[in-house]
Amino acid sequence: MKKILSLSVMFFLLMAGILSARESVIETIQKQGVIRVGMSTFVPWAMKDKQGNLIGFEIDVANRLARDMGVKIEFVPTAWSGIIPALLTGKFDVIIGGMGITPQRNLKVNFTIPYDYSGMSMVANKELAKGFSSLADFNKKDVIIAVRMGTTAEQAARKHMPNASLKLFENESQALQELNLGRVHAVVSSAPMPVFHALKYPDKLFVPIKENFTKEPIGFALKKGDHDALNYFNNWILNMQAQGFLQEKKAYWFESKDWEARVK
Amino acid sequence: MSSKTPLKFTIIDVAVIIVVMAAIFLFFARMSQVLDYKWEWEAIPSYFFFTDAVTGKLKANILITGFFTTIKLSIWSTLIGFLLGIISGVMGAKGSFEQRFVSRIYVESIRNIPSLVLVIIFYYFVSSRFLDALYLDRWLRNSSNTIQHITGFLFAKPAQINSFISAIIALGIYEGAYVSEIIRGGINSIGRGQWEASWSIGLSRQKTFLLVILPQTFRKVAFPLAGQFISTIKDSAIVSVISIQELTFQGMELMSATFLTFEIWITITFLYFILTFSFSRSVAFLEKKYALKQ
Repeated sequence: MKKILSLSVMFFLLMAGILSARESVIETIQKQGVIRVGMSTFVPWAMKDKQGNLIGFEIDVANRLARDMGVKIEFVPTAWSGIIPALLTGKFDVIIGGMGITPQRNLKVNFTIPYDYSGMSMVANKELAKGFSSLADFNKKDVIIAVRMGTTAEQAARKHMPNASLKLFENESQALQELNLGRVHAVVSSAPMPVFHALKYPDKLFVPIKENFTKEPIGFALKKGDHDALNYFNNWILNMQAQGFLQEKKAYWFESKDWEARVK
Repeated sequence: MSSKTPLKFTIIDVAVIIVVMAAIFLFFARMSQVLDYKWEWEAIPSYFFFTDAVTGKLKANILITGFFTTIKLSIWSTLIGFLLGIISGVMGAKGSFEQRFVSRIYVESIRNIPSLVLVIIFYYFVSSRFLDALYLDRWLRNSSNTIQHITGFLFAKPAQINSFISAIIALGIYEGAYVSEIIRGGINSIGRGQWEASWSIGLSRQKTFLLVILPQTFRKVAFPLAGQFISTIKDSAIVSVISIQELTFQGMELMSATFLTFEIWITITFLYFILTFSFSRSVAFLEKKYALKQ
């Protein structure tokens, strides 16, 4: 009995040893020859095209990163609400998914320097939100706002419109559907999607506030304690900014709509 | 029982048909009025198959791959579920006190947890501590192309293998509890007379169980078990929460990208229906055929 007990204790110590023997993600990636990137569908950050291939701003960024590291890339599409736990439990190496850098998230994961800035924008129902033109108009008790759960849009809506009630959805498409059905007054989401959606249904929807009402930095997220990886990614981003790569991709995905024909 | 009674249309039947048709018509009329939705069905077929621009060949797109992932998931988790369920069911019906106790704890704890919660717990806590530590994905990535193709066909690609295995084990454990109850009920339903008759001709307890009781049990439980397989297919949709690329997950990804919410949900519903309905019809057919011979 004692033997079994001591053996099992040793087994668990061994397991713990294996699990805690950490090396930098950068080394693991090099050794395996593959980088695993966690992401979630967010138009036009990342989405599937007609052939089922992933395309989008994030996808271009991640593909370039893999090419520069000389490794293959594997995208791990993950439900947004579970993406941070999935990173922490090692389902992939890094999140490149348009994740806004927030203090709350930063307590759990490390962020790189921003490689892009995004902002919250809003699309509203013409009938329900008639004449609304400022955040104050939406900040009323009987106003309902739909957002995607766990996003910075949710936080922005809570902060800027604390009196309005929120309806949370797992996906953006569900939130937009509620808006089209006239069950909510507005949808808050990262630019430029709200504007695109308003253009698609001009007789039903409109953009009440022309400018984005928040500005938020976007970074890669990785596990805490991995300074080598953080340093590598930070410098890669600085390099890409200097080369104009990020600006060029941003112009294609966020300022033009040339990519739309590739999706539908 | 005769199924040859000629069908007769009475006035009530006609009335029922008219009422049902009117209800369906009203439903759609009202829906198109309220919904005011731009239907774009023409995009859907390309999510099943598309022609490769380079080679000109027809290739399966994400709805088809998702459909087959759902089938793979269902088959593997059913196998695991049957294995666990048969062991636990036999233990529960004819085991010693301790064995019955273990079986009871398994069945009661699993049946009283929502499957969604079980899948999430398994994925984040159990799988990330034990399955991921086996480095199955690393081994697969470094293995030859043939092995990757075979495992890709049977299970999933290296990128997905850990979560796929975690999903089939979690689903298997879940279904196993229900299979266990089916088996236990089947064994208990075999009359005491069968046991006594076997003993009287000199068979041992073990032999009686293996040669007399089990064959009869399997005949009794075969169709309830097939029903359990159908419900596994339906339950497999919940593993979309841990990002297994099965039908529901692929559909939701597609919706986030294209915003064709209704078209895609309807297509997915239809695909699940084809799968489960064709299976349940063929089971019903076999049941009828088999029942006559009994």
